[in-house]
Amino acid sequence: MHVYIYDDYLNKGKYNRIINRLEIRLTDLGLNGKIIRLGAIKNIKGTIQNEIKLGAKTIIAVGNNQTVNKIIGAIIDTDVFGDFQKKTLLGIIPIGDDNSIAASFGIKDPEEACNILLARRIEKIDLGLANKHYFLNHATISGPGTIINIDDYSLEATARGEVRIINLLSGRKGYRQSNPHDGRLDIYVRTKSGDDTHLTAEKFIITNPADNLLVDDVVEIKTPVEIGVVRDRVNVIVGKDRAFE
Amino acid sequence: MFNKESGLEKFKDAETIIGASIKVKGNFQGQGNIVIEGSVEGSLKTGANLFVGDQAKVIANIEAKDAIVNGEVRGNIKAKNYLAIGRTAKIYGDLQYGEISIEKGATINGQLLLLSEEHKRSDKIREERGLKENAKEPAV
Repeated sequence: MHVYIYDDYLNKGKYNRIINRLEIRLTDLGLNGKIIRLGAIKNIKGTIQNEIKLGAKTIIAVGNNQTVNKIIGAIIDTDVFGDFQKKTLLGIIPIGDDNSIAASFGIKDPEEACNILLARRIEKIDLGLANKHYFLNHATISGPGTIINIDDYSLEATARGEVRIINLLSGRKGYRQSNPHDGRLDIYVRTKSGDDTHLTAEKFIITNPADNLLVDDVVEIKTPVEIGVVRDRVNVIVGKDRAFE
Repeated sequence: MFNKESGLEKFKDAETIIGASIKVKGNFQGQGNIVIEGSVEGSLKTGANLFVGDQAKVIANIEAKDAIVNGEVRGNIKAKNYLAIGRTAKIYGDLQYGEISIEKGATINGQLLLLSEEHKRSDKIREERGLKENAKEPAV
């Protein structure tokens, strides 16, 4: 069974035509399934977990990056995650702006997303882990005063700017394409003066007494934070034009 | 003579770049190409190529296959293959190399030692043994 999770912003009138066309296309391809509208439910986590327990074969995020993050956040590290990993795939139908996650999976628009769902090309994707919080895309912290301890050396950022830990690249200009299934995270330090630092690591500890680490633009964690990567954690349906090998 | 253009080409997609605002302390080790524009204290080792920018300050012993040095290095440098010293380089330490080029204006305060073929071979054998032993180790 396919379960489509519609984000609440899709209730706006300007998306009606796109949604109608999408639903017709899904029906034509025999991919229709249950629709859950996030705006109408209070317990998002409980609802999504219940669908997995009921045997959902595919959970499809219909919306943008935040929709995908909400679904990952509702599933990961819960009782149903074992079932999700074994039996359920994650699909994405991008609608509107802020859809860089879908783009990096090679899914550019709703119509293409339907064809990709039909083709069911599957990739196992790593997730980053910051203390106990999983992240799909990235974690960020301000530059000055941030110290990163990797193996037996440390890196200290001395200028104003930003430290960004990337698992899956989310369309930021000037960053290299990261590989979300190489078991490593990309570390970028970018200063206001345009000075760039880049390296990769499997695990490290990040410290900044003056700032918190922001995970996937949602959760703030006080440092020190132990950061690592959990390999092949989520099965995602991807397009052939995905941005990684 | 040292060709700056061709020398820099292989660092365009370097795996590791340490920017000018970064301080590295400890034993920094990599497998791929490394570019250093900031400061490093400790040791610096890569099985591939190393580029030290003209604003970089390295207080460390350095080991690489090919190395291009344009900044300040206080420590010994061992480039198994080729060592290029740019005109802005200030080096306080001994240099070991397979081949070397030094641009006019560079400062070197140390001994220059050509690595013998035998030395290079024994280094290679040691590396290969290391790789084999690593390959034997069971995956965790």
